[in-house]
Amino acid sequence: MGVVILLVMAAGVAAMLSRKLPTAFALVLLAVVIAFVAGAPLTGKDSVLDTVLQEGAPALAATMIAILLGSWLGKLLEETGIAGTLVRKIVEFGGDRPVFVALGVLAVSALVGTVTGSAPAAMLAGLIGIPAMIAVGIPKVTAAGTILMGIAVGIPFELPVWQFFSTALELPVDTVRGFMVKLFPFALVAAVAYVLVESRRRGVEHTWSLKSVQDKPAAPSRRKLLGDAPWYALLTPAVPLILALGFELAIIPSLLAGVLYALVTTTRPRDMNRRLLRTLYGGFEVAAPPITLFVAIGILLAAVKLPGAVDALEPLVKAVSPQNPILFVLVFTVLVPLCLYRGPLNAFGLGAGIAGVLIATGIYPAAAVLGMATSYNQVFGVADPTSTQTVWSAQYAGVSPQQVMVRTLPYVWVVALGGLCVTAASYL
Amino acid sequence: MSADHDLDLAVRLLAGTPTHEGRDPLTLRQWAIAAEEFGSRMTPEETPVRVVERDDGLAAGLLARYRSRPPVVELYVDTVARAEQLVVERGWRHWYPEGSVRAAALAHEQAHAWLHHAHVRAEFKRALGHTALRLGRRRVYAHVAGADELAAHAYARAACGLGRSPLLLTEALAAVAYPESEK
Ligand SMILES: [Zn+2]
Repeated sequence: MGVVILLVMAAGVAAMLSRKLPTAFALVLLAVVIAFVAGAPLTGKDSVLDTVLQEGAPALAATMIAILLGSWLGKLLEETGIAGTLVRKIVEFGGDRPVFVALGVLAVSALVGTVTGSAPAAMLAGLIGIPAMIAVGIPKVTAAGTILMGIAVGIPFELPVWQFFSTALELPVDTVRGFMVKLFPFALVAAVAYVLVESRRRGVEHTWSLKSVQDKPAAPSRRKLLGDAPWYALLTPAVPLILALGFELAIIPSLLAGVLYALVTTTRPRDMNRRLLRTLYGGFEVAAPPITLFVAIGILLAAVKLPGAVDALEPLVKAVSPQNPILFVLVFTVLVPLCLYRGPLNAFGLGAGIAGVLIATGIYPAAAVLGMATSYNQVFGVADPTSTQTVWSAQYAGVSPQQVMVRTLPYVWVVALGGLCVTAASYL
Repeated sequence: MSADHDLDLAVRLLAGTPTHEGRDPLTLRQWAIAAEEFGSRMTPEETPVRVVERDDGLAAGLLARYRSRPPVVELYVDTVARAEQLVVERGWRHWYPEGSVRAAALAHEQAHAWLHHAHVRAEFKRALGHTALRLGRRRVYAHVAGADELAAHAYARAACGLGRSPLLLTEALAAVAYPESEK
């Protein structure tokens, strides 16, 4: 039975890889097939309809709300000109030193990444950040990579991600936060190294481009009338972070506080209602793809945790999972590429199911699975050429996602190695 | 009239450069004038640089590219040839003498390299006069994104004795290369 389930999973990966099915649909289909193979009844206790579909779908509800709030805050950062002002200030102060600009945009991406993560963060920081970097002479691939590496610095402190791992792996938020704090230095050092090393290697470039004099359709921005955001409003991205990290406030109120702070620092009282609603609804649109994915992941998690599935998979997984800490680090570092291209170790895909199996079968402590999954998260968050933020950043900079992957992968692979070492040392 | 059009093109280039969205057109105009003035007075030193010829410029929308590490100027010969042809078609030979496009491209990229020297950067910022921060009497000059492009074009124009800004040629080339995006 276990072999059949693994084969089903392999077929699911193939379907996602070949783009035959969108990831979310593939995961739900996979979950239903796995549940049937595991011998689950149609209805009742541990069943396909009641347990997998009904209970699985809203299992990650808290994550979905966190994602929605993050997207809302992202929309506010955009509409109030906070993100744009940050980038403009950086260019004004250091535009004649491209490395300074890249490091500054890296910092902005990191801040924005803690709020919304993934594609919305890439757009928020990259929309002005990428052309601004290119305008001061940073090569295109380096510019796209800088945005992605920056977001990855923010990932360890991305509150919706805490919520996700806490719910999906059934761990207290404290544990997730504790590990993320240890993962952060690796992400930070790798990102700064990326900017410094790549700037040194690639230098600057300037083009005589035919596109420079083309009329660009001016974005219909309200910021035009509003001017810069005031300096204290620029602290907005840090607000949820300070509350959640420093004051250990829960995730949803921390994000709400960020929304409130952005609002009162930038908006006249009579405009507040309208702006709140407009940005909230805009946030729904941004949050739609990840929320869809989280519904599917919840369903998949419910399926792999069915007693039948656990019984079938346990002997198999036990046979191949290294218990020795050194072997653990080596094996899972070598397996890093398996989280790319929607691969089986992607925690926002089948990887969540595999993590569920590892925990449900008791092969590793849940905290070790957390370490593994978050380490991989650092890799595909930057380098996966099929993930939305990578595709967007690369294309917006005018290069291919594969070019960006090749240049960023060495750095994030080292981050994963670091995360796995910490995991083995702390939890095995 | 023609000088006005050159300046309009320069302002448009600045307006299209990120970080200038929503800037007052008058400010952009002042920056454009200052940048062109600075560029045409520049005296970059001759540095030996490798020139590589390529022929995929029209597809990429490029005429030339300077890369600092290692220092190399890539010249997109197909775009240069198209530009020379365009000069004839439009009857612009008196503005752009035979062979001047190639010379202008090399001068343009030479100017970029020069603008990366610390003392040139500092002078350029002072010439533009945009303030990033003011503390009492002290003030920190701000970088103006896109201004170096204008200075490079102005230098190329002065160095190669062009009658009009290379931006005019760029605009004409863009119209040929991207006919669909012409409104
Ligand atoms: Zn240039």
